[in-house]
Amino acid sequence: MSRKVVLTGFGCVSGLGIGLAETWRRLAAGEGAIRPLLREPPPDHPARRIDGPAACVDAGACRAALAAEDLRPMGQLDPLSLYALTAGLEAVETAGLRGHASLERRTAILIGCGSGGNATIDQAFERLYARELAKVHPQTIPSSMMSAPASHLALLLGCHGPTFVISSACASSAHALGEAMHMIRSGRVDVALAGGSEACLTLGSWVAWNAVGVMAEDTCRPFSQGRKGMVLGEGAAMVVLESEDHARTRGAKVLGELAGYGSSSDAADMTAPDLQGITATIRMAHEDAGLAPEEPALISTHGTGTRINDPVEAAALRAVYGPALSGHTVIATKSAHGHLIGATAAMEFVLGMEALARGVAPPVLNHLGPDPECDLPLALRPEPIDHRVLVSNSFAFGGLNAVLIGRIAP
Amino acid sequence: MTVSTDAILEVIAEESGLDAAALRPDATFEQLDIGSLDVASTLFAIEDKFGVAIDPDQLNPASTIAEFVNLVRQLAPS
Repeated sequence: MSRKVVLTGFGCVSGLGIGLAETWRRLAAGEGAIRPLLREPPPDHPARRIDGPAACVDAGACRAALAAEDLRPMGQLDPLSLYALTAGLEAVETAGLRGHASLERRTAILIGCGSGGNATIDQAFERLYARELAKVHPQTIPSSMMSAPASHLALLLGCHGPTFVISSACASSAHALGEAMHMIRSGRVDVALAGGSEACLTLGSWVAWNAVGVMAEDTCRPFSQGRKGMVLGEGAAMVVLESEDHARTRGAKVLGELAGYGSSSDAADMTAPDLQGITATIRMAHEDAGLAPEEPALISTHGTGTRINDPVEAAALRAVYGPALSGHTVIATKSAHGHLIGATAAMEFVLGMEALARGVAPPVLNHLGPDPECDLPLALRPEPIDHRVLVSNSFAFGGLNAVLIGRIAP
Repeated sequence: MTVSTDAILEVIAEESGLDAAALRPDATFEQLDIGSLDVASTLFAIEDKFGVAIDPDQLNPASTIAEFVNLVRQLAPS
């Protein structure tokens, strides 16, 4: 009996659009979603403003995509849940699993989130600290808790299997996908709906991210000279994973395989990347997949566009792949959809698998010219590829690393 | 401030996720599937909008929409 883990459904929501088809169309055309975002402050608090580049989701379009669903039992939905529901529904419908008996007992839901429902928390705290009111909305906790999107998806789909959120900052959804793969390999479940969601374009989150000192004032330019930092996005991406037997038995169309997963902690620094930890994690994923580093791959980098992160990731890739690196193709899709924090790894994995299926590497945007410290075979324009393998990197704050390896059928 | 019935129904609809048209005067919370968190949310919004604080113990699943509307209107400062 094969416990190979195959992929049968993808769904995604970001500034690039609602749904994988529109997202891919814009990504492949080099139409990035990063735009100036300005939210004027109240007159009595002029410092409270959002003013900078970001990639926002059209929440109204998410609501329209869910219009036929009964969302009432879920109560108030933070955008965090709205995005997860939209992407999750797309993935399950693509997989043809809606209403399937396996959803009830043999399916896990694992969602990566870097933070909870920021909008709901901001609204509640604004009442307390700015307006000096004594009460907040009674649904503040159930709407904003980090696990809410997992519960909401379980409600929508009628899933009674293991359901929870995994949090490891910017690697959250890579961990969710990797751990879901292991749950299927071990036979604990037959199906998993896994991915990530994040809705962090709120004042509190915005100010806090800017305080870290890693945000770009212009745009996201991964591995480029003149790069200034990361740009926040928001959204969700979800994947349906199944044991190969389960997928074949029900005659599902198989989109690919989640073949390998490496996961580690640097235990070194809370914000700086660690070359050794990153290198070891990429190698771990290759070993798990039984994949030689020389086999030509599409490498979807973590590629945040920060001054410090990009050269360390480039050095790790040179260390792992050596001279074979020139046979690989390197992409960095945060330049198009921004950094989706807890959702970003799943988004990048989905887009990487789509790139393999379509035979096109989407372009790294906003590139101003090579940085000798980031010497990589970057796809700077849409590039035809015939790779069958994806390596998708995620290296989070706090030194939490996760690397996924996907494969499409030959 | 006079609080209109329609304004109260609008708050119930908003907080419970139901259509205002479904809120018949003789229907109970239980019949309408308005649970305790929906009631708490409605009371919160009523207090926010109309300055009327209602003790949740004054309500139960058998309370009707008409009873609730009357309670809010009685307590609303005039």
